[in-house]
Amino acid sequence: MTTRTSRSPRRRTVVALGVVLAVLVAFGIRLVDIQIVNADQHVKDSLTKIGERVALKGTRGSITDASGRVLAESTLLYDAQLSPKNVKPQQVVRGGEKIQIPWAQTAGEIAAITGQTAEEVMTIVADALERDPESQFAYLKRGLTTEQYRDLAELGLPYLSFTSQPSRVYPQGAVAGSLTGFVGVDGSPLEGLEVAQDQCLAATDGEETFQRGQDGVVIPGTKAETPAQDGGTLQLTIDSDLQWYLQQLIAEQVKKYKSISGTITVVEAKTGKIRAAAEYPTVDPNDFDAEGAFLRNRVFQDTFEPASTFKALSAAVLVDGAGLTPLTTVHAPWKVTFDNGARVRDMSGHATVDYTLNGVLVESSNVGISRLSERIDPQTRYEYLKKFGIGQGSAVNFPAEQKGILYPASEWDNQQLYDTNYGQGVATTVPELIGAYSAIANGGVRVPLQLIESCTKADGTVIEPELPEKVRVISEESARQVTTMLENVYMQAGYSKAIHVPGYRVAMKSGTGQKSDGKGHYKSGVWYTLMIGFAPAEDPEYIVAITQDEPTRVKSSSADAEGFQKAMTQVMKTYRVMPSTTKAPELPVYK
Amino acid sequence: MSAAPDTLQPLIAELPRREPPLRPVEQVGRRRRPRVAYALTALLGALAIAAAQMGLSVATTETTYRVSELTQQQRELTWQKQVLYDEIAGMSSPQYLAANAASLGMVINQSPTYLRLSDGAIIGSGKPAGYASSVSALSKGAVGNALVADTPLVTTPDATMQGTLETATESDVTTALPPPITDGLPTPTTR
Repeated sequence: MTTRTSRSPRRRTVVALGVVLAVLVAFGIRLVDIQIVNADQHVKDSLTKIGERVALKGTRGSITDASGRVLAESTLLYDAQLSPKNVKPQQVVRGGEKIQIPWAQTAGEIAAITGQTAEEVMTIVADALERDPESQFAYLKRGLTTEQYRDLAELGLPYLSFTSQPSRVYPQGAVAGSLTGFVGVDGSPLEGLEVAQDQCLAATDGEETFQRGQDGVVIPGTKAETPAQDGGTLQLTIDSDLQWYLQQLIAEQVKKYKSISGTITVVEAKTGKIRAAAEYPTVDPNDFDAEGAFLRNRVFQDTFEPASTFKALSAAVLVDGAGLTPLTTVHAPWKVTFDNGARVRDMSGHATVDYTLNGVLVESSNVGISRLSERIDPQTRYEYLKKFGIGQGSAVNFPAEQKGILYPASEWDNQQLYDTNYGQGVATTVPELIGAYSAIANGGVRVPLQLIESCTKADGTVIEPELPEKVRVISEESARQVTTMLENVYMQAGYSKAIHVPGYRVAMKSGTGQKSDGKGHYKSGVWYTLMIGFAPAEDPEYIVAITQDEPTRVKSSSADAEGFQKAMTQVMKTYRVMPSTTKAPELPVYK
Repeated sequence: MSAAPDTLQPLIAELPRREPPLRPVEQVGRRRRPRVAYALTALLGALAIAAAQMGLSVATTETTYRVSELTQQQRELTWQKQVLYDEIAGMSSPQYLAANAASLGMVINQSPTYLRLSDGAIIGSGKPAGYASSVSALSKGAVGNALVADTPLVTTPDATMQGTLETATESDVTTALPPPITDGLPTPTTR
């Protein structure tokens, strides 16, 4: 029996309770929101907005050679800054007496440490003050060593401050400098593997936040850290001792034969691992601004006409694809005009002879190989060359690595139909050519080249590069026959004495390539010379290729003989390859 | 105005008659003495907590100072390590080692000969090493290293990897000349 009036106070109570509850719930929600939902954000805000914050720099990873010797590593350099406005005579208490050290004297002390002169130091301050009398900032010197930095800091000058800069050291100097590349002053990678493998090497920065008490000591419990991630260690397949020897060797050869440049590359035949890629001129990454420093990499970035070194591939194609043998003969004058109008001539005049295929290689007869090439159709020959990897680049993928140029057989003109047999009208690179020779050395199977052994991340995970499959190019028997012919080149060619490697059976071929003048013609009187071979021929372990661009003392590939001989000998010695115990079968040159 | 008494009247009328809630106490209760032990316990507990907290706080602060001290020490050692690293950087590079070896008169022998232990067979060229080095690491050193370019060779302190220093040639000349004989042949003193 309640009436409206009797309900009113109760309703008021209910409403009041409701309001109180609603407020309580709202507070509750907000509490959960602050304490649980957004707790991390608030803790972070409290640390970052009240506390101090220091960026934690990760260290860029090292580059090492195959045995772990360091080729590139990170260290710190220091920049010293002055506050010119605050440069005043120094007040020092000595023996209870206050004395003033004049600025000129302090400048002298600073200069003695930084390697400047006192005048230079004083000029820096004077210039800065002239530009702006209130100047608080001027670089004293950048890139100081730790020792210099500590010595300066110990002077205790209030107007000197320091910042550290990550910097890169290349302990082996120019050894493998053309491969590692280098890093700029600001720490950004500029060339070579420093650029290509930045993903492996680069560090991820972290940060640390904390609050400090008045005495500068961190208040307990206020420290929070997001650790920096160091970069990974990049291991190469390079042997730095061998790399040094070959760099020294090619430098001596280039100077001796007055060439523009030269390269020597060594690859492990069975695995495709590049053990050395030496060149001259090159760069010391510690000092890449130096005069005469060559910043590119010729081994991976230069293309050239392979010339007669290509005859080994042509012979392999003929043996494997057309059933020729090393003793197949060909009637060869020193120059010939083919039915389609193409004209081919040998390097020098000779009487018309009947060469064996072996003889064509030994005497390096353009006419001989061109005539024999008519036994196989151009398309098949093109397919073979593609399988040899010509024009395909290498698996290394070096920065700005070049690919050779092999036009499809359908685009070959009358002259190219024959020229391609002896490496004209086709361009290649050192890695491509070595890859092709690896097929002959490995019983017909071409191995992909490899320069990166692995990348070991800071947490210990090892990432190995993915390599393409090996490719069977010719049969094992064909490879054996071609190897035997290349051994005969080594034993019977005109330069064979100059390239004799005592104790070993070697298979090799030379080439003297013409160079384009950039206007559609060949340069006259200068050549791109090369020699490529492998040893020991009975069980090939290493492939060595040497090139010299435009040697002038000796203009033909003979300029490479001394370098090839020394390089091959050194490779055999470095890897303790046992000398051969068998003799190479000698094949006839003429019918 | 007249509505209020009308509605209140029946309410009052309906209130039940209850027994009075208070009644006289029959007996005086015994007075309880406050226990000192409880008070003491509470007080001591509070003091103990305060002391423990203070102790912990002191200990933490102490550790913080220790941490700060060790951090400083670590920083100094890092600097020291860097200084030492800078000093020896590049010294293990092959070109510096080879230059040192060459200055000792060592040559790079090209073709080694191997001796097979099982049957004593000699494998390889079998020729003795020549006098000439296959590459000249010192006189024609071509592989630079800016880190050790000015570092003197260990074996020849007045020369660097890049060749002999200017001053060195002079002293070499003077030492190369035989000492002049002024008082006849020198006689060794024997005892």
